Amino acid sequence: MTPPSTQPSTQPSTPPSKPSRLGRARGPRVLAPLVSGQEIVLLAVIGGLWLVLGLATPAFLTAGSLRPLLIEVAPIALIGVGMTLVIVAAGIDVSVGSQMMVCGVITARLLVEAHVALPLAVLVSVLVGAALGAVNGVLIAWGRVHAIIITFGTLNLFQFVGRQIFGSQTVNGIPATLDVFGRGEAGQVAGLPYSFLLTALIAGAVWWYLRQTPGGRHFYAIGGDALAAELAGIRVRRRVLLTYVVTGALVGLSAVFTIAKGTTTLDQSIGAGQELAVIAAVIIGGTSIMGGRGSVLGTVLGALLVQTVSSGVTQLGWPSNLSDLFVGVFVIIAVGTDLLRQRARRAVR
Amino acid sequence: MTSTAAATKNDPSPEAPENGAAEPGSLRRALRAVLTRRELLLVILLVVVLVWMTALGYGGYLTGPYDPDYLAGALVDAVPLAMLALAELLVIVSGRGGIDLSIGSIVSLTGMVFGIAYGTWGWPLPLAILLAVLVGGLLGAVNGVLVAWLGFPALITTLATYYAYRSLALVINAQKPISTPDIQALYSLTGAVEIPVIGRDIPNVPLGVFTFLVPTVVVVWLLLARTTYGRRLFAIGTNDVAATWSGVPVARTRLLAYVAAGVLAGVVAVYVTGQFASARPDAGTSGNGLALPAITIAVLGGVAITGGIGRVSGVLLAAVLITWLDAGILLLFEGNDGSQFQLLALGAVLVFCALLNAYTIRRYGGTR
Repeated sequence: MTPPSTQPSTQPSTPPSKPSRLGRARGPRVLAPLVSGQEIVLLAVIGGLWLVLGLATPAFLTAGSLRPLLIEVAPIALIGVGMTLVIVAAGIDVSVGSQMMVCGVITARLLVEAHVALPLAVLVSVLVGAALGAVNGVLIAWGRVHAIIITFGTLNLFQFVGRQIFGSQTVNGIPATLDVFGRGEAGQVAGLPYSFLLTALIAGAVWWYLRQTPGGRHFYAIGGDALAAELAGIRVRRRVLLTYVVTGALVGLSAVFTIAKGTTTLDQSIGAGQELAVIAAVIIGGTSIMGGRGSVLGTVLGALLVQTVSSGVTQLGWPSNLSDLFVGVFVIIAVGTDLLRQRARRAVR
Repeated sequence: MTSTAAATKNDPSPEAPENGAAEPGSLRRALRAVLTRRELLLVILLVVVLVWMTALGYGGYLTGPYDPDYLAGALVDAVPLAMLALAELLVIVSGRGGIDLSIGSIVSLTGMVFGIAYGTWGWPLPLAILLAVLVGGLLGAVNGVLVAWLGFPALITTLATYYAYRSLALVINAQKPISTPDIQALYSLTGAVEIPVIGRDIPNVPLGVFTFLVPTVVVVWLLLARTTYGRRLFAIGTNDVAATWSGVPVARTRLLAYVAAGVLAGVVAVYVTGQFASARPDAGTSGNGLALPAITIAVLGGVAITGGIGRVSGVLLAAVLITWLDAGILLLFEGNDGSQFQLLALGAVLVFCALLNAYTIRRYGGTR
């Protein structure tokens, strides 16, 4: 580190210690490999953590402990799927927590006060989320403002809307119809919670779409170079709008999951801080914050890792707030490896 | 993000400032002046807010008097906001997507360290303040090393350290605030004082304005406008590569911006501890935290999120504007509703200003 060379492009030598990766990058491959190196590392880290936690507290590796873990992972991973789209297209959305608050309170009040059927309530939640996402998308794509600034603003706006609907009190008596997505016996098949299965299904569909279809590849093109994508005939603005709308819709669904896994009382803390957990999961999953690279599979694994850490910290009897420290460290490690990979790629050229 | 840049480039020849000046019509010139001189716009908005709120007050719509005494008292909240906004100014101006989301967590963590040193260990006050400033600078240096030396993206790095610092602040004293008698005595730092000589004719201003805000503003202004470092900071923010080839130590300059932001956060931690008469583990992170309003104020004050543009005077005016607008909103509603409408105001103002900044850059090539 003696000469603090500031320009990544002038990085001299010191090729990362994986010559095999360099060899592979040289080929004319268009698609990324099915499972990236980052995802294998993540799997190994999660496996290692589970092993250590299993040895430290024997109760960890039981169904009674892993099932709540999956239920906790589901909302974060689900929003993460949308956030992966957003970040791959070189955007960011920090307003998802507030979106979840709006969707959550509308759904809860529909169920409790209007006695709406569950499917309809879920549909409304998804549509409301999509509408909120559309607000972000339009402002970002057509207002030509940095996504971080716009979504910081809408974070406040949506929170205002959510609190107004709450009317400065809690929503009580969430009905049992939501148990399908909840913790109880009604919410699982063969020991797997429905909310996680649904998340896995959606993640799989988006993973296939991003990887195998031209439409999916457009997002990577936009994240790589928006101007080049525009010139290549991609309708960049519509695509960018779509990423935020999809994220909003998924927030709507995960708001339902979040209500279902809670108690019968919904308070105003729903969604608070979710944006950080989701972005952390996406980044830990190997998606580059600069855009153009990333996969949904990695995001799901990232969410699993974040949740494993926080439930592990609790099970070890450490202060629960300590888990955020580990999440922060994991994010920095993930960004660091992403940077190393970028430099490796440049060194090849 | 990239899409916005690309879209701007696609525009058929955005007008250069010179072309704008040649346009006829005093109205256009006035519009141009308002849009390109952020301070002018802010002063106009400030007057609008003051007149509007005063009118509402006379109409009997407010729950309390919106008078000079109330406004002067409200400045107690402007002090931390303005200081943190100045910290964001330094970081954002440094360019390459510079931003510091962790600044609220730094306030929390250094506040706890200060509270432990001063309140629990009984260190003398100057030494404890020095410790807070050093810890703040150190935490900022962590951000700076990652961003400036190792080339990490600032947004995600400071998000990660936001997590980490907030977690440490909560764990360090098992989530309990520290409010020993020593710390409670610090409350006098924020009390209102009568200014000597002219004090009788104007309302009493919180002491923190003179002991914290004014020195900070002077130092930051001198740093930016009167030192080599300030010029270098604007240079690297405007064009990294050009600055490198001009022999500017880019990494060190950028690193120091993050350190300075951390130092400012450390000073704010001392102030906030006095304001609440206790060192709270969530001082800078409760609710939406302090980072978000600070960034909002910086953007409102005309700091370009792309770096290289920003002025102390704009940030200061924006801080006062937001503070007095918030203070007015609080009087406009009964009970808890006021704080909700503050969220609305903050969000709406941020989005409006961002759109305005983008338009100004396209139309006139940016604010001055």
